[in-house]
Amino acid sequence: MRLAAFVAVGAMALAACGNTEDPGSATSSSKGGLAVGLAYDIGGRGDKSFNDSAANGLDKAKKELGATAEEVSPNQAGTDRADKLKGLVDSKKNPVIAVGFKYADDLKKVAAANLGTNFAIVDDGSIQAPNVANILFAEEQGSYLVGVAAALKSKAKHVGFVGGVQSPLIQKFQAGFQAGVKSVDPAIKVDVQYLTAPPDFGGFAAPAKGKVAAKGMIDSGADVVYHAAGGSGSGVFDAVVEARAAGKAGTWAIGVDQDQYLTANDSQKKVILTSMIKRVDVGVFDFLKKFKDGEKPSGPQVNDLKSGGVDYATSGGYVDDIKDKIEAAKKDIIDGKVTVPAKP
Amino acid sequence: MTAVIERPAAPPVRAPWRDRVRRAAIWAALVFVTLAVVRQVTGANALTSAGTVNDAIGLAVPIGLAALGGLFSERAGVVNIGLEGMMIFGTWFAGWAGYQWGPWAAVLGGIAGGALFGLVHALATVTFGVDHIISGVAINIIAVGATRYLSSRFFLGREDGGVNQSPSVPLIGRVGVPGAGGPLGTLEGKHWFLVSDLAGLLRGLFTDVSLLTILAVLLVPAAFWLLWRTGFGLRLRSVGESPVAAESLGVPVYTMKYAGVVISGALAGLGGAFLVTVYDGKFLENQTGGRGFIGLAAMIFGNWRPGGLAAGSALFGYTDSLRLREGSAAVHALLLFAAILLAILAIRAGVTRRWIPAGALAVAAVGFGVVFAVTDQVPAVLTPLVPYAVTLVVLALAAKRLRMPAADGLRYRKGETG
Repeated sequence: MRLAAFVAVGAMALAACGNTEDPGSATSSSKGGLAVGLAYDIGGRGDKSFNDSAANGLDKAKKELGATAEEVSPNQAGTDRADKLKGLVDSKKNPVIAVGFKYADDLKKVAAANLGTNFAIVDDGSIQAPNVANILFAEEQGSYLVGVAAALKSKAKHVGFVGGVQSPLIQKFQAGFQAGVKSVDPAIKVDVQYLTAPPDFGGFAAPAKGKVAAKGMIDSGADVVYHAAGGSGSGVFDAVVEARAAGKAGTWAIGVDQDQYLTANDSQKKVILTSMIKRVDVGVFDFLKKFKDGEKPSGPQVNDLKSGGVDYATSGGYVDDIKDKIEAAKKDIIDGKVTVPAKP
Repeated sequence: MTAVIERPAAPPVRAPWRDRVRRAAIWAALVFVTLAVVRQVTGANALTSAGTVNDAIGLAVPIGLAALGGLFSERAGVVNIGLEGMMIFGTWFAGWAGYQWGPWAAVLGGIAGGALFGLVHALATVTFGVDHIISGVAINIIAVGATRYLSSRFFLGREDGGVNQSPSVPLIGRVGVPGAGGPLGTLEGKHWFLVSDLAGLLRGLFTDVSLLTILAVLLVPAAFWLLWRTGFGLRLRSVGESPVAAESLGVPVYTMKYAGVVISGALAGLGGAFLVTVYDGKFLENQTGGRGFIGLAAMIFGNWRPGGLAAGSALFGYTDSLRLREGSAAVHALLLFAAILLAILAIRAGVTRRWIPAGALAVAAVGFGVVFAVTDQVPAVLTPLVPYAVTLVVLALAAKRLRMPAADGLRYRKGETG
């Protein structure tokens, strides 16, 4: 029994090793400057995705606004989010930014208990408090534009959408994409497939499932597949690469969050038509800039096409021939002529 | 008058495994014909399409490998709930070896990584007598934290690498029977009853298959042969049934248990390597997604036998493939399939006058039939659950008498008499 306890304790200790803070980031002093506390979602810096995008915004703030920062990330199970937030408050960080909607419950409590500190949360609009800013993105607008691109490139008049997890956030991508496709030609068929449903968030890290879903769509006739599935997206790209190799020449994939053409491998680069870019870095930086300028932002801070918070990518030059039409759609949205639905 | 001594008629001598194989073949044929009928009725062509079959195998293999791993461990009397953790180590070491030396190195790396933590589990449970569940859970917890730590040491800063993923690993080549794809594809496209279904099945099985998939599928009969047809297998199973008796006959109990658990880890690690080299093309955090646990469940409901666990894994892979590829419409067609199959089971139970199960099955059959008739599709939010639900229900119905190895999960000390 003692041995059992020993092994179990050893396991906990080793598991804790995985939860290392990011090197070189824990130093800060708040001598009047901007002392930022930033809590990443599980994974922290180096995830090539959401967290890294937030980190880029912070790095820009360090450079241009002279900010100092303490950066933390929760353990693998995400059970210590509240403690991480409290820790940032206790070390006199202001503002404190939480990256990801999974912080919502904990942030709500911590913010209510620390009215002297300003908070911001990315991707959550549910918290309404005088000292909390909601950094939101109009994902549906960016998705609308890539929907337009998909519709214009689809020869089969059949496209697909692969969502990672069937949550309201990802459904915004779906709604915008569908609206964009239909704006070009209402007759185009849009297949929709989600990989998992909450509380199983594994759909963001399951390339195998993403690949199977995309293959299913391609086999049933779709020739452009847009994914909003995080890490599972590389499976979608691979499915399109294989479809090309099997003779389906005009098959395309569309990336998400970042310009995925820039981070994909060489064979995937050839099939990434465009990407829906969600500038978490811009959202974070803009919030910090406003704060530095003396404003105390609270409530929804929506980053949309107009502010450059969302956009579409042109790397690779595959959308050059249809760029004017996408730009026209973009202008219509910015001018308010077109309102994009956020729910499917 | 001479006394007549009545002897009971000697039962016909027949190898029991032949009976089992024949029964399994009949059931498989029945299921397939039912699927063909459902496809014809509902028009859900994905039910037997080559793509569905092909991806079903791909999704089943990692689960099946974990299940095979569980088989070796539990047949040697060690419960292995650490399969998931060993699989995670398999994915990490596959990613680490794969990006440097190619996909087959990844396979070896995955096997080695899994085997290494199988060895840890064996050391804890066999030598130190730690409770099997505690050791297994510890390995699962360590795996998540340790791979994150290792990634930050070895992958961060490399091209494509990060704290939660490895650099890209090339995928293993895919092969097929030359010339089979075209004609079978044409035949499949006609949507003729049974003929096209068979063409789809064959095309899915024999074209565009990863070399590692072939290897993995062959491991199932190989495991059967090793465990039930060799001296090594007999000894290994004997320590899972009665280690005391085995020891009294000179079987090296500790060695056999070590062998079983290390092979177990190696197979789970191979399952992880399969994910890396056949589908994902890299190590990715959480990419195992609980497959180790699903494999363990498939092994238990498969009655600690290779055929049973293979059937369970295939079923899960098939339903997962179907719902991922075709979504709620195809899953909806499965309801009709379930209704027909339950009706057949009910009739069978009725013929043998087991009225209570017959009644229950008939009610279930009618229930599924009604749900199928009054709905158009399964709610999209439920479709991800379908593979779990279907596998659970089917295996629970099929496995009437589960029998685990008699000394499974028990601590064994050398020299102790039972």
